[in-house]
Formats: sequence, structure tokens, C-alpha cells
Amino acid sequence: MLDWTIVAPAFLTAAVEWVEAFTIVLAVSLSIGWRAASGAALAALTLLAAMTAITGGVLGLGLDIRWLQLAIGVFLLLFGVRWLAKAVARGAGLKALHDEAQEFANTRAALARGDWMASWLIAFKGVLLEGLEVWLVVVAFGLHDRAWVSSTTGALAALLAVVAAGMAVQAPLRRVPENAIKFAVGAMITAFGTFWTLEAVGGAAAWPWGDWSLLGLAAFYALGGLALIALLRRPSIAGAVR
Amino acid sequence: MSAFLKTLFGDPGTVAVVAIIMAAELLLIASNEVTSAAFAAPLLVLAGTAWLAKR
Repeated sequence: MLDWTIVAPAFLTAAVEWVEAFTIVLAVSLSIGWRAASGAALAALTLLAAMTAITGGVLGLGLDIRWLQLAIGVFLLLFGVRWLAKAVARGAGLKALHDEAQEFANTRAALARGDWMASWLIAFKGVLLEGLEVWLVVVAFGLHDRAWVSSTTGALAALLAVVAAGMAVQAPLRRVPENAIKFAVGAMITAFGTFWTLEAVGGAAAWPWGDWSLLGLAAFYALGGLALIALLRRPSIAGAVR
Repeated sequence: MSAFLKTLFGDPGTVAVVAIIMAAELLLIASNEVTSAAFAAPLLVLAGTAWLAKR
């Protein structure tokens, strides 16, 4: 049985990363062809799948859940705070919005200077680094009530959705409102990170409303983030695309 | 390697923000201020987010 409170955030978080990875693979494919570029992507995905399987096995050995919760909570905080801050800075006009078209052009320019192997490595490294964040999310959400199937399903569904959408539009996914997704996901991940770290160090009674505190935290970060955007707002800076 | 570490941990500013949050949580829990920690932690996280966004 799938836990949709795990599938949804895992799907959204993974989708943002897969969009970035797909953009890199798309750019590389124009240099060395689809076959080689998708081979590099597949090699990276295989490595990530192995990492996920090994991590799941190790975490299933009955280690103290509080230490795991603390470690994963810290990772989620590192990850979530970074995303939320970036989304706030972009929303407030302090930083240019992430432009997939620009990333696509930059990758192509880099490829023009390199050879076949360098191109293959760019696709491999791109998918591996973006996928590494997906791996963290799958492990983190999988820890919650051992929801491995739900978190992996969310990440795989996101991968399929991004590949299908990317193939359909055949463009660097400019239409995906990345900053809005990043903002929502940043708020959710930060909420999970805050919840788990305090529960790990303070015990189950640390949160006054138990698991419901998670919803309160997510709402607090979402509303707080919107307030920060309003407070920090500047006129659009050069280079912003949306 | 540096790209790998940055992907895992973020930049030094992010690490510093999370370290301060964790230190505050541990301090409050050690002082038996469990309820205060539940309210202080989200506020600290939001303050850290604001600082990281402004940099």
C-alpha cells in the first residue's frame, strides 16, 4: 500500500532534479547522439539504484532509528534550507531565476570544446550528481515508517514523467516552473528535517502536536518564505527569465 | 570530489546555519526546555533561510 504523504514530496523533489539531469543529457545527446548520452545516463542511474538498494538493506538491519533520524534529518535540513533560500532569493529578485535554456546552452558550449569521452562523462556526472539528491530524498522519506516502496515509487514516477515530458516537448523544459516547485519542496523538506532532528534529540514528546506538527511546520515555512519574498523584494535583475 | 561534497552538504554558509540550529536544539533539550525548542527551531530555520537568501 502506497503512503501518498511520502509519494507526493518524493515525486516533487525528484522531478526538480530529474529536469536538471535531463537538460544535461539532452544537450550532450546533440554532440554524441542519443545512444551514447542515454547510455551514460543509464550507467549513472544503475549506480544510484545500487546505492539505494544497499542503503535500504543496511538501514533495515535494525540500527537505532533515532541516530538514523538525526543523520537524515540533518541532511534534509541542509538540503531544504538551501532550496528554500534559493527559491526565496529568486522570488524576491535577488538572484536570476534558474534558466534551463541557459544551462542547455552552457553545456553545449562546454561540449564544443571537449571530446567524446568528456561528453559522455558530462552526461554521467550530471545524472549522478542530480540523482544523488534524489537518492538522499528516497532514503530520507523511506526511513519514515520504512516507506521504501512509496519513496522509490515517487522518485521513479518523477523520472518517467520528466523523460516523457522532455521527449514530448523536445526542448530544454523551459515551461516547467522550477522555482515554484523548488519553493514548495524546500518548505516540505525543511519541515521534515526540523521535525526529525528535534524528535531524534528530544524524543517523541518534543513536538506538542505529534505528527500533526509536520503540517504546521510545512505551512509555517511556506508562509514564512512568502513573507521573506515580500520583505526582500527587489526590482527584477538582469537575466531573469520569469 | 568538491562537486560531490557540495551536493551532499551545500556551501559553508548552509552548513553554518544548520550547525547553529542543531546546537540550539541540543542546548534547549539539555536545559529541559523541550517546548521552547519546538518553537525556537522553526524560527531559527526561517532566520537562517533569510540570511542565506540575502547573501
